[in-house]
Amino acid sequence: MSHNGSTFRYLGKGHRLIEGLEKITGNAKYAGDLSLPGMLHACLVLSPYAHARIVAIDRSTAQAAPGVVAVLTADDLPTRDRAVNSRHSAVLAKDRVLWRGQPVVVVVGETEAAARDAADRVVVEYEPLTPIIDVQKAAAPDAPVIWPQGLPKEGADLTAAHAAVDKGEQETTGAPSNIHDEVHFVRGDVERGFAEADVVIERVYRTPMVHQGYLEPHASVAEPDLYRGGVTVYTSTQGQFSVRDEVARLLSLPKHKVRVVPMTIGGGFGAKYGIIDPLVAAVAITVKRPVRLVLTRTEDFLSTTPSPAAIVELKVGARADGTLTAIQARVLMDNGVFPFTLGGIVGILLGGYYKCPNLRIDCYEVLTHKPQAGAYRAPGAPTATFAIESTIDDLARALGHDPLTFRLQNAAETGDPMGNNDPWPHIGLKLVLERLRDHPAWKDRQVGPNEGVGIAIGGWPCGMSPAASICRVDTDGTVRIHVGSVDISGVNSSLVLVVAEILDIPPEQIELIQGDTRSGPFAGPSGGSQTTYSVAGAVAKAARAVREKLFEIAADHFEVSVADLELRNGMVSVRGFPDKAVSIGTLAAIAESKAGGPGPIIAEGSAAVSENAPGFVAHLAKVHVDPETGQVTLKQYVAIQDVGFALNPTMVAGQIHGGSVQGIGWGLYEAMIYDEYGQLLTASFMDYNLPAFDQVPDIEAVLVENPSPYGPFGARGVGEPPITAGAAAIANAIRDATGVRMTELPIRAEALWRAMREQINGQSSTPG
Amino acid sequence: MATITVTVNGKSYTSEVEPRTLLVHYLREHLNLTGTHIGCDTSQCGACVVLVDGVSVKSCTMLAVQADGANVLTIEGLAQNGQLHPLQEGFWECHGLQCGYCTPGMIMAAYDLLQQNPEPTDEEVRHGLEGNLCRCTGYHNIVRAVQYAAAKMRSEEVPA
Repeated sequence: MSHNGSTFRYLGKGHRLIEGLEKITGNAKYAGDLSLPGMLHACLVLSPYAHARIVAIDRSTAQAAPGVVAVLTADDLPTRDRAVNSRHSAVLAKDRVLWRGQPVVVVVGETEAAARDAADRVVVEYEPLTPIIDVQKAAAPDAPVIWPQGLPKEGADLTAAHAAVDKGEQETTGAPSNIHDEVHFVRGDVERGFAEADVVIERVYRTPMVHQGYLEPHASVAEPDLYRGGVTVYTSTQGQFSVRDEVARLLSLPKHKVRVVPMTIGGGFGAKYGIIDPLVAAVAITVKRPVRLVLTRTEDFLSTTPSPAAIVELKVGARADGTLTAIQARVLMDNGVFPFTLGGIVGILLGGYYKCPNLRIDCYEVLTHKPQAGAYRAPGAPTATFAIESTIDDLARALGHDPLTFRLQNAAETGDPMGNNDPWPHIGLKLVLERLRDHPAWKDRQVGPNEGVGIAIGGWPCGMSPAASICRVDTDGTVRIHVGSVDISGVNSSLVLVVAEILDIPPEQIELIQGDTRSGPFAGPSGGSQTTYSVAGAVAKAARAVREKLFEIAADHFEVSVADLELRNGMVSVRGFPDKAVSIGTLAAIAESKAGGPGPIIAEGSAAVSENAPGFVAHLAKVHVDPETGQVTLKQYVAIQDVGFALNPTMVAGQIHGGSVQGIGWGLYEAMIYDEYGQLLTASFMDYNLPAFDQVPDIEAVLVENPSPYGPFGARGVGEPPITAGAAAIANAIRDATGVRMTELPIRAEALWRAMREQINGQSSTPG
Repeated sequence: MATITVTVNGKSYTSEVEPRTLLVHYLREHLNLTGTHIGCDTSQCGACVVLVDGVSVKSCTMLAVQADGANVLTIEGLAQNGQLHPLQEGFWECHGLQCGYCTPGMIMAAYDLLQQNPEPTDEEVRHGLEGNLCRCTGYHNIVRAVQYAAAKMRSEEVPA
């Protein structure tokens, strides 16, 4: 693989997962696998109501049950005085319950079974209150308001909040409202734009709350430090520093007294940033023993943070020549009971994929009595992409243009405005469309009866954050690299290749050490496709500094100048004198014993990337639709992605396979469905349909390498983009196969069957 | 309490268990074999699959007392004398795992599948493993991993 004129030995070549051995032998330790001496087990009592007042809690029977150590409510924990204004801070409910599944009581037992038995014996008396479930009703001006006095502020409990006049909680209007935030983007004049259009398509799209569906439910073990008054938390998390900060804040502890150890994580996808850790830490400190809490799958569905539901009213106009003239959107985000703000990202992408002179996007963040929404892989992007890419497809169709050419004609390029009018950094949207145009799956596409082919683009801005790393060489030649980031996706298996390349040693000679909040150099949380992009720079700097030190010692050893040395296969040698060679291990030994020398070989690297490296995709789906049942079968799936430069192509392709199937989940299978009372009807894998093995085809991953100017070796973020386009590509394929335009996700057989019936009966083909 | 004798990974254990103890809890909590994972409570995900007398079983659907006298194989017992089983090798070489949480159950289910069908088509692999969920890999490389193992177990050259 050649890149920027240089040839790499390890980078750009596939390398297997470095922690694979632990994982294939059952030896990897996930948080729930941990047992500590004297450890107790916690079990939660969850609210059966979406909205109710807690009248009384009778724990006497539970407390008397065998093996029970404690039955605790909010007032028993050191978090009791913290304001309840987010999922993290809703450690246990005070006075009121605000969503079905909110933790109310925690039972601590000698065994998990004892705790669970006793949890069933806790009697909570509720006075049910009317929940606000429908997001459109919640957003209406005359709706009852969930937080009439504004969200509780820190330093004021729920009761005090009623007396306080909080400024800034209802930032946009003065009057109390369930709309907790709003974002407006304007460019040009949309009215004029629509007047200039030859075709205008206006539709309402709906996407549901979707769960991240990691296979490992939330799990955490907390061990109190009885002497120093601190706590160590062993947890399943994407960001140990984020969890540390939140646990310290909620427990009123200085940060240095909280140590968070990230265990092997069984999937996160945006959800694992300390939802249960404050509770487990508070309980451990209260009962003065180690405590483990592992959620059941149903508890996980009920009490964690799914992605927000959304309603997107979208109107797009184009001229007969294929030029877009105006994009207008009104977006309602259903965020559950505490604020979460993705509307801006939805707007940025809705108005950012294509060049368009006139734009107006209004996004409203709405509260309802559901669990607080959270991040799920490319948060907001599947929703925005489903809406814009369905409409773009139909515009092309209405104008008689080829859907790919139409996209290529309007596709955003580097410097074009995103929805919020900020310019896109360096992007490769056109490149992925061109690759798809030339791909046989598109170029030579053929469809049989009831089959259709659909395409869609998608993108993600990709995150970045400062990070540091430490690199050191041991006397046996082992190189250790320390980071404070969490590996959720194979990141570490790419980082070792960076070190291997710089020190020219096999990756097997490198150990990557994932630090906790005490031992790890700082890194941001692993989310937003930022980790490899952000941490690799720090790792490279540390490795280069180590390389310099090795050369310095070798120059002294051979009494030559550094310029005369070369590093190859872990040996430093004098150019032209192959017998004058010394291993890096020997150099480490010299450095560790030589008085007056440079000292042991260790170096640190810090990096703070200055610009994002967005990743764009073009996906193709081929479907068969059973005309009798509406059943959709995926026949083919191609995922083309600009990855910048694939540091480890094996890991990158894996991200594309997995992300694409999650996109298929958005398209055909997944939804958190709540009834009018706020009861979750899909609280298990029996009812919540993760894409199954036999429901998806092979995913053909095509890597386009369009180097980013800022990322390490040209890399871009790769984790989020693959999930963005699937739902839209599938919807467009279904349109191609049946003539029916589906506007609500997931596209289930029954809904499609009804839409096909309506079409046959000569009615509208666009429900809603 | 009930007394059971179970052979797990070739070693015999006699234990006192509550009659309601699930096999998966017995393996994890009593024998500390935490390689067998729990991903759901409705027997959908397959993270807990083990072999009982050579047949794949979701160990969350079976009571420990039902395993009395049985021979159980878990992921920890699959490698022999430090030699990885072809399935373990296949999952690693073909990147058939990411977070690794579904992997032990997936491997044990695939073990049973290959016993029944040593030369499956890709479609038969997908159908045979439809009781196991994976959220990371999109299943694509798991098909490759199982085919790698199948070829190796038939002593053929592994597919590229």
